[in-house]
Amino acid sequence: MSDLDRVREIALAALASLEASRRRIDDLNVYPVPDGDTGTNLTLTGRAIVEELDRSSAEDRETIARELTRAALMGARGNSGVIFSQIVRGSAEVLGGEDAIDEDTLARAFRSASDAAYRGVRQPVEGTMLSAIRALAEEAERRPADFWPALVRTGDEAVLLTQQQLDVLREAGVVDAGAAGLVEIVRGIAAAMTGEEIVASPAATEPLTIEAIHQELSRYRYCTTFVIEGERLDADALEAQFEQLGDSLLVVGDETALKVHVHTDDPGAALSLGTTAGVIERVEIANMHEQTQAREERLLEPVPDVQTAIVAVVAGEGNRRLFESLGATRIVEGGQTMNPSTADLVAAIEAAPGQEVLVLPNNSNVVLAAEQAARLAGTRVEVVPTDSLQSGLAAMVAFDPDRSADQNAVEMREILETVATGEVTIASRDAQLNGIPVREGEFLGLVADEAVAGGTDFDKVATAVAERLLAEPRGVMTLLTGEQEPELDALLAGLHERHPELEVDVQQGGQPHYPLLLSAE
Amino acid sequence: MRPDGPLKLTTGNTAIVVDSTADFPQAPQRFPNWRVVLLYVRFGAESFRDYVELSPAEFYARLRTSDELPTTSQPTPGDFLATYEELSVYDRVYSLHISGDLSGTYASATTAAEEVGADKVRTVDTGTASAAIAMLGLAIQRRLERGTTDEEIDRLLEHYERDAHLIFTVDTLEFLRRGGRIGRAKAWAGNLLHVKPILTIKREVIPLKRVRGNQKAMQAFIEEFTATSRDARSLRVGIAHAEAPDRAGQLEKMARGERPQAQIELVTDLGAVVGTHAGPGTVGFFWFDDGE
Repeated sequence: MSDLDRVREIALAALASLEASRRRIDDLNVYPVPDGDTGTNLTLTGRAIVEELDRSSAEDRETIARELTRAALMGARGNSGVIFSQIVRGSAEVLGGEDAIDEDTLARAFRSASDAAYRGVRQPVEGTMLSAIRALAEEAERRPADFWPALVRTGDEAVLLTQQQLDVLREAGVVDAGAAGLVEIVRGIAAAMTGEEIVASPAATEPLTIEAIHQELSRYRYCTTFVIEGERLDADALEAQFEQLGDSLLVVGDETALKVHVHTDDPGAALSLGTTAGVIERVEIANMHEQTQAREERLLEPVPDVQTAIVAVVAGEGNRRLFESLGATRIVEGGQTMNPSTADLVAAIEAAPGQEVLVLPNNSNVVLAAEQAARLAGTRVEVVPTDSLQSGLAAMVAFDPDRSADQNAVEMREILETVATGEVTIASRDAQLNGIPVREGEFLGLVADEAVAGGTDFDKVATAVAERLLAEPRGVMTLLTGEQEPELDALLAGLHERHPELEVDVQQGGQPHYPLLLSAE
Repeated sequence: MRPDGPLKLTTGNTAIVVDSTADFPQAPQRFPNWRVVLLYVRFGAESFRDYVELSPAEFYARLRTSDELPTTSQPTPGDFLATYEELSVYDRVYSLHISGDLSGTYASATTAAEEVGADKVRTVDTGTASAAIAMLGLAIQRRLERGTTDEEIDRLLEHYERDAHLIFTVDTLEFLRRGGRIGRAKAWAGNLLHVKPILTIKREVIPLKRVRGNQKAMQAFIEEFTATSRDARSLRVGIAHAEAPDRAGQLEKMARGERPQAQIELVTDLGAVVGTHAGPGTVGFFWFDDGE
């Protein structure tokens, strides 16, 4: 068998071993960024190497080593892929120059690989792929009798140890994904070298804990990798410049080709910087927040109950149905004149099915009670201080039970910024409000708690409120009719005439005291 | 590696077959190496071949007046076999199909391909639907035009599965629910308030978010588009709609504004089969940076 065929065989075995554990390694990934792609990145890096070897026609060992190094560099994906490419480089430097490959040579190759990996990382951290490659080098230098099986054992031990070495791994109850991936590669190589079957990793069957999936996101959004090709490229100088843009920085390679990996909010700036140094190619930009979400979804699937449940304070049978159809799990009766007690709210929060609870008070008089209840209840509770049914309903549209209460609250607050609300109510006494005289029993139109119209003509008052809400351009108007349903034909006809593009959604709300609740967004 | 090297694929020796859910009926007129295999739409006892016997316009008109709701069925393996045999002068056929989780079409195609020889006909479960299938075909076609290999197409398929984007919204989830294609958006069905669900397809229908009104829906499309693309000639865009030409036009304008260099390669109606499951008012938006 030619050297090239032998290398192909070994690379294929390594890749097969990695592929078999890819998903498990993805799910382990919490460090440096829990983006759940370490297994995939290493596998893709491995595939790039295998593909390049397939295309190769190299005859001597030196050429093979050079091509292997370049293939790993060009195909490297993610942090782990880039570090792995350095491991390949280090070992190829030794193996390419030797005529006979014995255990002595292999020991030097592992050491060279370990040194190259440490050199490639700006601030080496223990409890990662680096610790694993160093442990492998040390074991190889010890020259055990059963060389390859001993290396695999050492690798497995090094992987287990990572959990003690790095706080974030201990908290998450996982081992390091990159280290685990590296050992899968070694397991595959060992199988090819000894001619034995790949033995499954001992960790393969252990389930992950939930803690493993609630890790902090990277401060930065985009995982950006690319290759710069040029002449006399200065890795150190470039590294200093890229460092301004983000974290998880890796700049590795040689004077003619550098692989750059950086987590940044501004991938464009990173690319521009690259083009000033040479020609860039193989650009990949991944949105890590999306990757994290996909991973969380995958891992949370077997958890039966929802992440976040909604407790909403609602008046009116129709409104209750609207809230329920949007996913509210607990409705507490109440509103303007019937404020629920803190105890009512605590009971509802405790009965809600989610791991976390989000409360929508839907009335300014209920916000305080809701906040108090949030402090008293045992579960994690978030209050979004909606001050009307209409705004509560607008917030419910953004609700996603699979997201955390906190994330839901952020989305809801964003929506509330874009919602304007108003009411048509009935004056309870004679008064002069905001320069508008109203008599007891007459219609009173309010926008943001300020009187905008009054009188006996419902159409006129309702139209005045609606037009005030539409002073800014809006796409949708929602009308919730009260217990005593008003006739809306004139209002709707006028709206259609003056705002032909506006989408109007009329619903029977059934709330007392307010013939019509309006909102525009 | 084989001694004679990998087969060089060109438009002269490689054909592309899509099914009619790709919503690209004019493909065979544009490219002599393309074929479309038709699905069926049924209103009661009457069965129509998608597009050929029932145009989108006729379908939506019928949907408004018919008492019966339409149903759909996949092409038979025989339909595929006839097409594959018609393509016997080609050395290779790429047969691209709607997600196997949404339709049995891929299964029919694969059964037929085994008859012809799976080595010659490669069936692909694209995991997606509508213009996304057509755009994958167009990406393959571009490579055939300059000469390519199976290996390169395999990489393209992976790249497409990973990086192609599809986002769509429906006027009501009822059509998806009734046709049994609602997937993970099930929890959103039965809404009383008129909300626009923003959805995607990753093998099955997956809910992304809910918004109020068409304006916000279009905004949500564009936000996702700009967050996941950069302006380049290699960025390809497709739009498909069911009787919503205004919104499709608006979306096209917004896309051109945000990514002036992108090529809008397909603006199409949703045909009767996809329309049966999505319903009138559906708007789909597709983009993919092909790299070339």
